[in-house]
Amino acid sequence: MPNPVLLNNVQHKDLRVLTERSAALGDDVMFALTFPAEFRTLQAHYPIVFRKSDDATSFEPVALFGFEQGENLFLKYAGWDAPEVPLLVERQPFLIGRDGDELLVHIDVDHPRVGTHEGEPLFLEYGGITPYLERINSLLLTIHQGLQTVPGFIGALLEHDLLESFVFDIELDDGSQNRLAGFYTIHEERLAALDGAALGRLHRSGYLQPIYMVIASMSQFRALIARKNAARR
Amino acid sequence: MTQAIRRIVIVGGGSAGWLTAGILAADHQAHSPRGLEVTLIESPDVAPIGVGEGTWPSMRDTLRRIGVSETAFFRECDAAFKQGSLFRGWRETAGDDYYFHPFVLPQGYGEADLVGAWQAGFAQVPFADLVSFQPHLCAQGRAPKQPATPEFAAVANYGYHLDAGKFGVFLRKHCLERLGVRYVPDHVTGIASHENGDIAALQTREHGALAGDLFIDCTGMQSLLLGRHFDIPVISQRHVLFNDSALAVQVPYPADDTPIASQTTSTAQRAGWIWDIGLPTRRGIGHVYSSAHTSDAQAEADLRAYVGIDDMPTPRKLTFEPGYRREFWHRNCVAIGLSAGFIEPLEASALALVEMSAALVSDDLPATRADMDVVARRFNDAFTYRWERVIEFLKLHYVLSRRDGAYWEDNRSDATIPERLRELLALWRHRAPSRLDFHRIEEVFPSASWQYVLYGMGFVPEPGGTRRTHPEAAAQYYREAADLTRRMLGALPSNRALLEHIRRHGLQKI
Repeated sequence: MPNPVLLNNVQHKDLRVLTERSAALGDDVMFALTFPAEFRTLQAHYPIVFRKSDDATSFEPVALFGFEQGENLFLKYAGWDAPEVPLLVERQPFLIGRDGDELLVHIDVDHPRVGTHEGEPLFLEYGGITPYLERINSLLLTIHQGLQTVPGFIGALLEHDLLESFVFDIELDDGSQNRLAGFYTIHEERLAALDGAALGRLHRSGYLQPIYMVIASMSQFRALIARKNAARR
Repeated sequence: MTQAIRRIVIVGGGSAGWLTAGILAADHQAHSPRGLEVTLIESPDVAPIGVGEGTWPSMRDTLRRIGVSETAFFRECDAAFKQGSLFRGWRETAGDDYYFHPFVLPQGYGEADLVGAWQAGFAQVPFADLVSFQPHLCAQGRAPKQPATPEFAAVANYGYHLDAGKFGVFLRKHCLERLGVRYVPDHVTGIASHENGDIAALQTREHGALAGDLFIDCTGMQSLLLGRHFDIPVISQRHVLFNDSALAVQVPYPADDTPIASQTTSTAQRAGWIWDIGLPTRRGIGHVYSSAHTSDAQAEADLRAYVGIDDMPTPRKLTFEPGYRREFWHRNCVAIGLSAGFIEPLEASALALVEMSAALVSDDLPATRADMDVVARRFNDAFTYRWERVIEFLKLHYVLSRRDGAYWEDNRSDATIPERLRELLALWRHRAPSRLDFHRIEEVFPSASWQYVLYGMGFVPEPGGTRRTHPEAAAQYYREAADLTRRMLGALPSNRALLEHIRRHGLQKI
């Protein structure tokens, strides 16, 4: 269980964070949450799909790394095999907390990345913050702002019935059958059938470009299958 | 006679009228000038009666067909999940026996001799509990799906329990706002006929004459058009199914977290039985009984004993003549709902027959008046058959009972058992109910339902026979049912928890 505590330069002055990517450090995940402002970067490397939130009350966009729980086909011995790591992966073990209107950086002190011997230091000798933590601060702010746009984006998709569930059946080179289910994508026929007024509203809200980025990302499924085949050899 | 059928006039609201209006309007583009004109006239001062009612899983298709949101339906109709029926005390007077009639077919149904292998090796386990996961979900108070399951989709097949009064109001709103049904709140004061005897128009108190090509009688037991105007009689079934009275009450849950049953529970009584339907906010409980076998006072005392609370409200009494009309579609008038017939609600057939009737009228809607006589003849044939089958299926629940008392003894007397049911019971001594016994394409109850009740009531087939059996194949399906039970119990929320989730957050459409 994560154990997030408010980060401070007294209690945590000696903490260091391991920044390499590996399964042992918690990167063996099938997908990671993302948000519309990040789609443009991620669609060049990952399929972007939607899943139901854990409480089933809404949907959320995710970048897909594998075909089953715990499978991350981008993890190699040498680290993460893609030039862009989704921000919600990169932010580990930090998270943002809120105190009234104030956003505060928290750290999961039980995360395997956190220690005192190896990795990036967080604080300078006299309590100032390191460039690493400075970068984390700005990354968390980007995530925070990005996630706030997700409900509006999802609401617009649902309003126009633009989400559809899909089942992806894959036959691998070794003949084994795999099925990816439980995810959703953009219903392209319904998108194409929207009238100018509806498209105009989507565009003015900033939703049209991310919608097309999701569609473009579908071509990454081919690359993901190739990774799966390579992993089996 | 080549006159096109374009104007439908439905008399009477309630769930029958509005379901019929919704199905016809959705299927035939009532919202468009090119479509059918669907008008519903309803007395403005007849208050809807909030009886808790059960539906079959077919209601999910019906609701989807007319385009309503399942979330809105749950919220506005005080609806809950129904996964089948539980019968308590039907076999013995002692009353501690039970069996389930779940909505899910047995695992491997039709693929193996499930009955033979059950008798040979597992007879100590109730049949439904062995072949289906669903009785176990009901016994554990589980919902038939998860919060993430989309609207109308199921993990375990389900229908609904609902507040019939609220259901009518909900359907009316949808029919008027979305489907283009024309609404005339008024009283029918007279009926004008064509020379050939067809209905030409209905006279109303404030809206003048309402002309139409086809009139649908949804006026309930008064059967204004088919019964009163055309004088089509009810064929009484009192000699088969004796129940003709009911006492109904609404009972609150003792606490906010009392489990909500996801099946209808039917508990046998000295001269009838008590239904118990769990809605999200209350239970609907009623005693249906034979006035020839018990008094109203005794029936009420038995109901009070069942409910078991000191301040039980005074029950509402209903009486009915068990039976159905000799014809349902006569000239240019068809009756749907209680105007067509009524029988005790033992297997929740009332709304199901409404759905089937409205769907057949819509699917087979005659294009011209000349076509109508052909369609009417087929409709009458189909529904006479369906009513007979419903009555035989309900009777099956009674004939195998070993309960004491005149009511139960009379129920077992040969003279009260329809001929076809007697024949089937004879055949079933040597083989299980199968599709061979129910050969119509759209049977009311599948043969599996007959198996659930037959073996639930303790019917023991005679051993022997020459047919090759594959007990290992059946055992494999029993294991499959047990495995599904285990996995579903691990993954499905409680019935109350999911209903609460729907109330707060709704279900997604996909």
